[in-house]
Amino acid sequence: MLETRNLDKSFGAVHVTRNVSLKLERGERRVILGPNGAGKTTLFNQLVGELTPDSGSVHLAGEDVTALPVAKRARRGLSRSYQKNTLFDGLTVEENLGLAAAVHTGNATQLWSDSLAKPEVREIVEEVAEQVNLMPFIHAKVSEISYGVRRQLEVGVALATRPLVLLMDEPTSGVGPEMSKGFHDLLNNLPRDLTMLIIEHDMDLAFDVADTITVLNYGEVVFDGLPDAARGSSLLKEIYLGSWEDA
Amino acid sequence: MFRHNTLRYTALVLLAAGALFQAFTAEYFGLEILTEILILAMLVLALDIVAGFGGMVSLCHGALMGVGAYAYAILSTKAGIAPPVAMAGSIALTGAAAWVIGAIGSRSHGIYFIMATLAFGQMAYSYVFEAPIFGGDDGLGGISRLDLSVIGVDLNDSRSFALFCLAILGAVYGASVLILRSGLGRSLTGVMHNEQRMRALGLTVWRVKADVFGLSGMIAGLAGALAAQHIMYISPGLLSWTVSGEALVVVILGGLGTLVGPLIGAAAFVVLKHELSSVTTYWHLVVGAILIAVVMSRANGIFGWIESRWGGVFDRRLADATRKQEPEEALNDA
Repeated sequence: MLETRNLDKSFGAVHVTRNVSLKLERGERRVILGPNGAGKTTLFNQLVGELTPDSGSVHLAGEDVTALPVAKRARRGLSRSYQKNTLFDGLTVEENLGLAAAVHTGNATQLWSDSLAKPEVREIVEEVAEQVNLMPFIHAKVSEISYGVRRQLEVGVALATRPLVLLMDEPTSGVGPEMSKGFHDLLNNLPRDLTMLIIEHDMDLAFDVADTITVLNYGEVVFDGLPDAARGSSLLKEIYLGSWEDA
Repeated sequence: MFRHNTLRYTALVLLAAGALFQAFTAEYFGLEILTEILILAMLVLALDIVAGFGGMVSLCHGALMGVGAYAYAILSTKAGIAPPVAMAGSIALTGAAAWVIGAIGSRSHGIYFIMATLAFGQMAYSYVFEAPIFGGDDGLGGISRLDLSVIGVDLNDSRSFALFCLAILGAVYGASVLILRSGLGRSLTGVMHNEQRMRALGLTVWRVKADVFGLSGMIAGLAGALAAQHIMYISPGLLSWTVSGEALVVVILGGLGTLVGPLIGAAAFVVLKHELSSVTTYWHLVVGAILIAVVMSRANGIFGWIESRWGGVFDRRLADATRKQEPEEALNDA
């Protein structure tokens, strides 16, 4: 469903992505691990088109999308959530989801009707609000909801484009342990045919959700395999998991 | 997204009542001032849509109004096209010009967008000033008003023309609300809040900006066609950047992103201009001082200040009244 071939990116002398090749099958849930500065978010930015790789290619559902701009990749089914909330603060939860659903359904540029009043948009808004547990807050403005609920909405907005592949950059970033547990259920309850690539530092969440795990270090893939293998990997312990297991 | 509240409805009713009172009671000079306010109000509504709801602060809306005015004048006088068709043509032409400006300018933001629109405006001004067909510095005269004699209306009468402009302004206000509440308007709001995220959702951002800028340009073109009919003479000064600057002052004075505020700003600005200019030739100083006071007050213009002080009171009372009514209704139902 999503594939990168020899993706490479440097900022001056800093080599941030080194020959990264990944292949995600339809419905696969892959978690990307790696220490800070490993190049995880930079890789995401290249996947969605916010950064152009120096070399290599990105393929979505068999199509080479490397040359496509962000919006076109999104319309082909590549959606992402951000590590820092990028919501529409003055709008309600419903309107936030509605903006994304309107783009997906082709109502975002309609002049003769309110996109949020369209049945197909409302259907997506309600479905996604249920999926990410936002129904109690549906009419609240973003500025009125807690940080944790905003993180749910961040994922919800990405989901409302009905993507083929959902990229989530640290969905539980900054949320407390209780809410983090809620995210386990939230992610596990998403449709099984949705392909997910998740950057996550919460190891419990990572091993709970992941079908496969990729570990990046200094922009390079140093591990690619099943969660059980990741747990037993000495290399992984050395570069990343040591502190987790010790704790 | 744009929403009406009790205070906004109240302000609209008061403004409409005031305009109607003026239209039916004022003499010639008062009617001329009213018409000037109504035409300026259309221009600032157009500017508020792009600046207040799209973050596209334009310094070419004066020029767009000028394009509308000149297009109407050329089409109706030199090309011999019937005034209603000339008016529709001038609106379409201005909309197309604005769409192109919006499409090109959409890749820039903030000060760079302002400078790009200023450059477009000055290009239009220079061209109109130099090209012989536009009459150069002398401008163009002999512009006729629409002929509505079939419905028994003589627009050459100042009162009828003022009422005609008021009706058009009402329609423009309604159209502006519909634009902002449409899918396109919602997307525009999204773009102003977070352009990067809207792009990541799959929206072609430049197209949304260009479309809304084009629609705003159509309103500015309509204001221009009416301005040409009002004075029956036009000159390149109509396209000057100072007209755009004044429009921006009016929007900020009234309340950016409120639609209602710019209407108040237009009335306040024109009345101030006429009252002060009869007292002193330095009236711009007074208007400047008021603008500084408004900006420094951190309120969003006159209407923003009113909303921040009394907007909540209006809607709280309404909410309280609704809450009080609900138990009674429940008891009655029981």
